[in-house]
Amino acid sequence: MGYVAVEAGEDVIQRAEELFEKQRVDGESDQLSVEQVDDQFGRLTDRAMSEGGVYAPRLAALAVKQAQGDTAEAAFLLRAYRSTLERFDETVPTSPARIRPSRRVSPAYKDVPGGQVLGATKDYTQRLLDFDLADDDGVDPTADWDIDAESPPNLRNVLAVLRSEGLVHDPEPPAETDDAGEATPPVDTTREPVTFPASRAAVLQELARGETGAITALGYSELRGYGQVHPTLGEVRTGELPVVIEHPYTGDEVEVTTTEVTETECVVPRYETADEPQFSFGYGCVFGRTERKAIGMSILDAAIQLDGSEPAQDAEFVLDLVDGIDSFGFIEHLKLPHYVTFQSILDRIRSIRRRTADATSDEAASTAEVSADD
Amino acid sequence: MTDRTADSVGTPESVDAILDSLDTDSLAGYNYAYLDEHTKREVRRSILSAIALPGHQVPFASRAMPLARGWGTGGMQASLSLLGPQDTFKVIDQGSDESVNAANIRRLAAKTTDIETTTDATAASIIQSRHRIPEAVLDEDQILVLQVPVTDALRRVDGSDDANRRRHAHRNYSKMWVALYENVVEYGEIKLSSRYPVMVAGRYLMDPSPIPRWDVPKLDDADNLFVFAAGREARIYAVPPHTDVEPLAFEDREFQVERFPGQACRRCGSTDTFLIEVETDDGERQYACNDTSFCQKRSASPALSKAHHREGDDHAWGPPTDPSISVPERSASPAGATADDAETSREEGDRR
Repeated sequence: MGYVAVEAGEDVIQRAEELFEKQRVDGESDQLSVEQVDDQFGRLTDRAMSEGGVYAPRLAALAVKQAQGDTAEAAFLLRAYRSTLERFDETVPTSPARIRPSRRVSPAYKDVPGGQVLGATKDYTQRLLDFDLADDDGVDPTADWDIDAESPPNLRNVLAVLRSEGLVHDPEPPAETDDAGEATPPVDTTREPVTFPASRAAVLQELARGETGAITALGYSELRGYGQVHPTLGEVRTGELPVVIEHPYTGDEVEVTTTEVTETECVVPRYETADEPQFSFGYGCVFGRTERKAIGMSILDAAIQLDGSEPAQDAEFVLDLVDGIDSFGFIEHLKLPHYVTFQSILDRIRSIRRRTADATSDEAASTAEVSADD
Repeated sequence: MTDRTADSVGTPESVDAILDSLDTDSLAGYNYAYLDEHTKREVRRSILSAIALPGHQVPFASRAMPLARGWGTGGMQASLSLLGPQDTFKVIDQGSDESVNAANIRRLAAKTTDIETTTDATAASIIQSRHRIPEAVLDEDQILVLQVPVTDALRRVDGSDDANRRRHAHRNYSKMWVALYENVVEYGEIKLSSRYPVMVAGRYLMDPSPIPRWDVPKLDDADNLFVFAAGREARIYAVPPHTDVEPLAFEDREFQVERFPGQACRRCGSTDTFLIEVETDDGERQYACNDTSFCQKRSASPALSKAHHREGDDHAWGPPTDPSISVPERSASPAGATADDAETSREEGDRR
């Protein structure tokens, strides 16, 4: 029998899963623990949390371990789990000024209120493979530093300087009450589908959940000839952002935990009106230390507000493309069978070829012949 | 009325508690039919809205599913929201129950609910399908959930959802008609293969999902409900029973389904089913039924009617494979390709 329907069923799926899992445990070495992933692969778990849209470092470590280091897959595991959880409360909005920063640099000003805090970064490291790490466990090079235990300063937002001068054209804030005077709940694109034109809150949420590579690439497009947003970053800061809720009994605001975030603000000169040139404003804020994503996000936010004709200035184009779970799913679905649709395409191609061939040989009879053949 | 079952899910106390709960073999810790009750209710409400406005795309907050986007997450959400303990569920992927993705979807449904599963289209109360409508005629108590990759037929002519929603609101489908007309001018006929645009109840232009043109006539005046669900695109739409569904075509360029002249299924001998080509190892091209479950039935009983389960109500369903075979035509079913009037080419073409 030549004809074998690609049949498989549950047995085969089970076996494919088992083979995949075998790849994880097949090596000679000890298995990674979730704690090790959490402690040592922070950039991986950060990406998984940022693209998964949920802050849960240990679950992210588990997802990274289970996905064998594939961040898209890990983010997907987190999202699928997140969607089964009840959303039981909303936090009180927390000003980014309350971030307890571990790093804050301002490319806009040499001296900024509170100073530049370089913090932990690889930015100025020479990218040379460190062969010592190959057989060495590594030691804490800061072990004998004399770090004072003072709590980190609350740093004044750099753009506040420009704002106080009236130079920043801030986007319209969302309406606090609806037409009926009811307080509008915060936008949540995981609970309400995005429709266009999308509110800026929806745009920011979708960008914050976007795939790091996609955000970086689309942001880059604005700098690389497909747009004119060449922003100046007010600052890039990383730190712990307090999570504040209203106490269910007392109604007081209480800090329950913190999330590590990277935040950036950029400005783009805007000369729309000759008498009042201003700066346009772009905002980026993502879970974890993913600075390139935060910066890309701020560029895209600014670009979308321009609402111009370049690709990255079209909210529909950007938001439809940046979601990693959507794009990787649909790209990979091409592996699924397409016999039916392919048969349908073959039918059209053959029919049109026949028609063309007939038309060449006998123009007058062509239509009738093809149709009879169909 | 409260249908919250959040309590039974339990609010995790800590990350460790969540990790502990993940140690079990089953899907303990998940709600019946995977989705929480609020989500299922939201999806059902969207389906009701969709039924009330046949062919209109209703946005819904598509949830992340444990299945990749583009692999049936919309269909899954619709099915899981509809499946109750009394239901019997069938899943088909491009005509096959045993395709890995179909098996995977069926496995998730079976694992998280109390339903029965079947491969027999006549025994299922809910059928989830990717890109096919079964050969067996569906009944009024059945729901066919079709997985949808692209929700809007107008996407072919304009990528902007915003612009297309406005066109739907104004029933302005001129851009689509012009595109079809340009097809005819350039290729002599309409070159759309699957995802053939249809008018639903004379109001909304609808993408019927990538079913072959072969299956499009089955949408018209059917006894069953069709639910179309797109997870990635967060839209649900529907064709209720006995709704007029008409493929776009011109008077002198009629809607054509796929044809397999002179071919029969090599397994069951059927000549009235959608066939797919199979290239054998020795380079021979053969044809076989695409609907594997119906093909098995036909193999056992070659004279079996597509409406065998309907007690004498011999309701034709879909076009005949070979134009020489006559099947009782339903009044509304479109002609297959009939000889065209080549002489009477019309300037305007558009019959509207």
